[in-house]
Amino acid sequence: MLNKIRKMTDTGLLLTITIVVFFLMYASAVIFLGSGFGKPQAFFNILNDNAALIVLSCGLTIVMIGGGIDISVGGVTALVCMCCAVYLEYHGGNVAVSILIALGIGLAYGLVQGFLVAMLDIQPFIVSLAGMFFARGMTTIVNTDPFNVTHSAFKALKETRIIIPFMGSLNRKGNYVDAYIEIGVVVALLCVLVLFCILRWTSLGRAFYAVGGNKQSALMLGINVRKVKYLSHIFCSVLAGIGGYVYFMHSGSGSPTHAEGAEMQAIAASIIGGTMLTGGVGNIIGTLFGVLSLSTIRNIVSSAGFDEAWWKNNTVAGMLCLFLVIQSIVVSRKKSAAK
Amino acid sequence: MKRFLLMLICMACLLTGCRGIGEKTSDPEEEKQLITVGFSQLGAESDWRKANTESMLQAFTEENGYELIMEDGQQKQVNQITAIRTFIQREVDYIVLAPVTEEGWETVLEEAKDAGIPVIIVDRQVKVKDKDLFTCWVGSDFALEGRKATEWLHAFTRAQGIDPAEINVVDIQGTLGSSAQIGRSAGILDASKKYGWKLLAQVSGEYTQARGREVMNYFLKVYDQINVVYCENDNEALGVIEAVEAAGRKVGSDIRNGEILVMSFDGVNETALQFAREDKISCIGECNPLHGPRVRKIIESLEKGETPEKYEYVDESIFSSLDQVQAVEVDGESYPVTLLK
Amino acid sequence: MNKQKKSFVSELLHNQMIIPIAAILLLVIFNLISDPSFFAIKLTHNNLGNPILSGNLISVIDFGSELAILAIGMTLVTAASGGQDISVGAGVAIAGSLIFKILRGNENTPAELHAPIILAFLAACLAGMACGAFNGVLVAIFKIQPMVATLILFTAGRSIASWINMNANIVINDQTFAIFGGFIPGIPVPTPVFIAILCIIVAFLVLKFTNLGLYTQAVGINESSSRLNGLNTTLIKWVTFVILGLCVAVVSLIKVSRTGQLNYNGIAKNIEMDAILAVALGGNALSGGKFNLGASILGAYAIQFLTTTLLKLKISSEALPAYKAVVVILLVVISAPTVREKLSRMANKMKSKKS
Repeated sequence: MLNKIRKMTDTGLLLTITIVVFFLMYASAVIFLGSGFGKPQAFFNILNDNAALIVLSCGLTIVMIGGGIDISVGGVTALVCMCCAVYLEYHGGNVAVSILIALGIGLAYGLVQGFLVAMLDIQPFIVSLAGMFFARGMTTIVNTDPFNVTHSAFKALKETRIIIPFMGSLNRKGNYVDAYIEIGVVVALLCVLVLFCILRWTSLGRAFYAVGGNKQSALMLGINVRKVKYLSHIFCSVLAGIGGYVYFMHSGSGSPTHAEGAEMQAIAASIIGGTMLTGGVGNIIGTLFGVLSLSTIRNIVSSAGFDEAWWKNNTVAGMLCLFLVIQSIVVSRKKSAAK
Repeated sequence: MKRFLLMLICMACLLTGCRGIGEKTSDPEEEKQLITVGFSQLGAESDWRKANTESMLQAFTEENGYELIMEDGQQKQVNQITAIRTFIQREVDYIVLAPVTEEGWETVLEEAKDAGIPVIIVDRQVKVKDKDLFTCWVGSDFALEGRKATEWLHAFTRAQGIDPAEINVVDIQGTLGSSAQIGRSAGILDASKKYGWKLLAQVSGEYTQARGREVMNYFLKVYDQINVVYCENDNEALGVIEAVEAAGRKVGSDIRNGEILVMSFDGVNETALQFAREDKISCIGECNPLHGPRVRKIIESLEKGETPEKYEYVDESIFSSLDQVQAVEVDGESYPVTLLK
Repeated sequence: MNKQKKSFVSELLHNQMIIPIAAILLLVIFNLISDPSFFAIKLTHNNLGNPILSGNLISVIDFGSELAILAIGMTLVTAASGGQDISVGAGVAIAGSLIFKILRGNENTPAELHAPIILAFLAACLAGMACGAFNGVLVAIFKIQPMVATLILFTAGRSIASWINMNANIVINDQTFAIFGGFIPGIPVPTPVFIAILCIIVAFLVLKFTNLGLYTQAVGINESSSRLNGLNTTLIKWVTFVILGLCVAVVSLIKVSRTGQLNYNGIAKNIEMDAILAVALGGNALSGGKFNLGASILGAYAIQFLTTTLLKLKISSEALPAYKAVVVILLVVISAPTVREKLSRMANKMKSKKS
């Protein structure tokens, strides 16, 4: 057994840890939260609530595999929500254009941040820290106060539910209630699927791993390192734009405090999912499980009587800390194996 | 890879096993004794809110036969909607919601209705087309609060013989879009039109002391002639008093001699009440935070199968240490002023 | 003649101090043109009857002092680890909350302090250093990038701060306590200025009489060769974080004393951005290595000058980060090696064309 673990690749080992952790958590959630959590809708609600986070985390996974980081995603989400909300509410725009706005903001962010990181060799953290503050500041410049969008076409889109057959359950009165997911979940799962394919089967995907793993050998393999890095940041920011819109569809409002701390959760989800900060190691499926475990543990914490708001932040931070340390140990395992 | 699959299967078994345990722990007999109430509080931004939370916690104790699950929404509707969905999943018997805004509750309230869980709204109101989405509402009549307070100001300044045109009011609003803000802001807006006061500005202080101070600092720089500050809660008033004193001005009811008259709402914060005794705050429109017992009564009557009133207003008074105004009149009804000593 | 002048100019350009000084000069000129009344300083009396100076320039040196103290620690951390600590704002909240916890006893508005201020301050120092030590362990021992490691406290810190006091709304009205963020009776200059001067003197003495400065730079420039030369690189990195924690504690005392109350989510908000900006504006490489403490401190005051100017232009405090973010990006772009190379190449081309 030990031998097997030793032989596993980093990706495999970290992914295994993640999936094991998720199942353990879900099991304990069922114990703590009683029968309610055993219903399929409970699981779908986790997806509904975290669709945006899944998209954001996917973006971070890509950028982290490429050896960079981006902490502006939460800010971009807030900016996207606010811009779309203002556009729909006060300028009577249509929904298709608002989606383009979201993608446009994401793309613009990717182009600028990617350029600064890849072409000018500035530390990605500094660039995206400035990006985060810029986005948060811009959000309040666009509009200071939170408000709900009452645009009818958008509301119809927001309230569209995709019914999952045969997964519903009986309520207290004995009526059958359908299980459902929101559109955002479909978008998120599509993102996961597409990115999984890109990372697995395209040369671009392999280039991300190569650049993040070892720049020198990537160069020797004839990979255009700058271009790949640039692309990884564009991917991340466009995904932040998409995630922002998914968040917008879920919340139906614009607010300067939207997605506060989302960057931290997205990084935590990626890291829990087995993506290494040092680059070159990571997996989209792991990230998906990372988000799921993160939200499960938050549900447990809030239901186990720790209803005060601060516990949620602290558990996320604690999880991140724990997994960072695990990674550190995995890295040292690799080193000792090399010896 | 094989081992990996094996592990997955083990996990799945564990999961199903746990589901069994989970069902066992929620034995119906045990649950029947305690009534579970899910309470989605919007945050902990002011002393009023904290008193409100405390009152709920005390009303629904295990000794009284309740299990209260509280979720702090941290001022975000998204969090509150998530909380309500969690309550629905956990199959609570009643949901109590203190909404952060008025709009955007249809979907989740419908879910609660589908699940057959009665929803009681407290404090702020919700705007929904179908009023059957919630069972009833408990809270304050904010529009009445605003009118009572402005009537007090009118009566007080008239007793002093101050020309209405000389009254320059600034309104430090609450969180925009909240019922209290809408009702109280409307009060000062209507009254200043009616009596000819100058309403210089209306800016949100977000119900916090820090923002109240910030906004007042700004006002003091821009408008020299301010003599009345209309704060929409106690915490804002505390911030305002700090700002006024830091600027070297005095707060008090003696408008003619350059003092700035501070009005406030809630009357929960101890410091604010003390300030009211010292005439630093001239008038506080009470906003009763003790909703817990009332909500409990409603739930008790629902348990008996009765239908409670759709809208229940709590009784509220006006606090002041000045005896010039004994009572104010709104819509032909007289409301006595409680004198603070 | 020409040659001499050039060397003087290039020497000037190569001195780090020039960047923050130029920034301050630029802001001074801007304000002179837009509104000269910006520089007005008034001597007034506060409600206790003590003389106080007020005006925009005073608020620059007043609030700039907080930043200057943070900039000392941040410069050292940057130099040694090649990263920045983004949890300083959260650290201030934690330390400040602890100060209140000790001073208030069990009341929310204590009539008198329940413990000597020095005791509360020492506890805050311990708390600040503990936060620094925690970050330091993650960075130095577990080799996690500083910004990711400090992201943990960045997110959790304010929650911890509100947990310390159970989210109570505390107001401390004590004249002695208010001195640290206000004025010493009889002296019209804000106290934070003196605290900052004290901290700066201590920092310079430490750098002069110990090898800390040298070692920090060595670790920052080349960690493995420093290790081969017998330096305990882990310890040095860790120590820089602990020193920053101490700076955070001092700032927290000023912050809570200034207002006499605590807003767990609002205190020292976005201050990490300002502190990093100060280091960058001081011309220090954000990737570590050589540093100039004086330049960072000047940078801190320049940043505060910028903030005050922006506020004077009626830009709301929430929108400020957007403007500062642009400044940060401009600064790092200008100081990026690639850009510098290109610029110097362009300059050379121009020269060769001329000749």
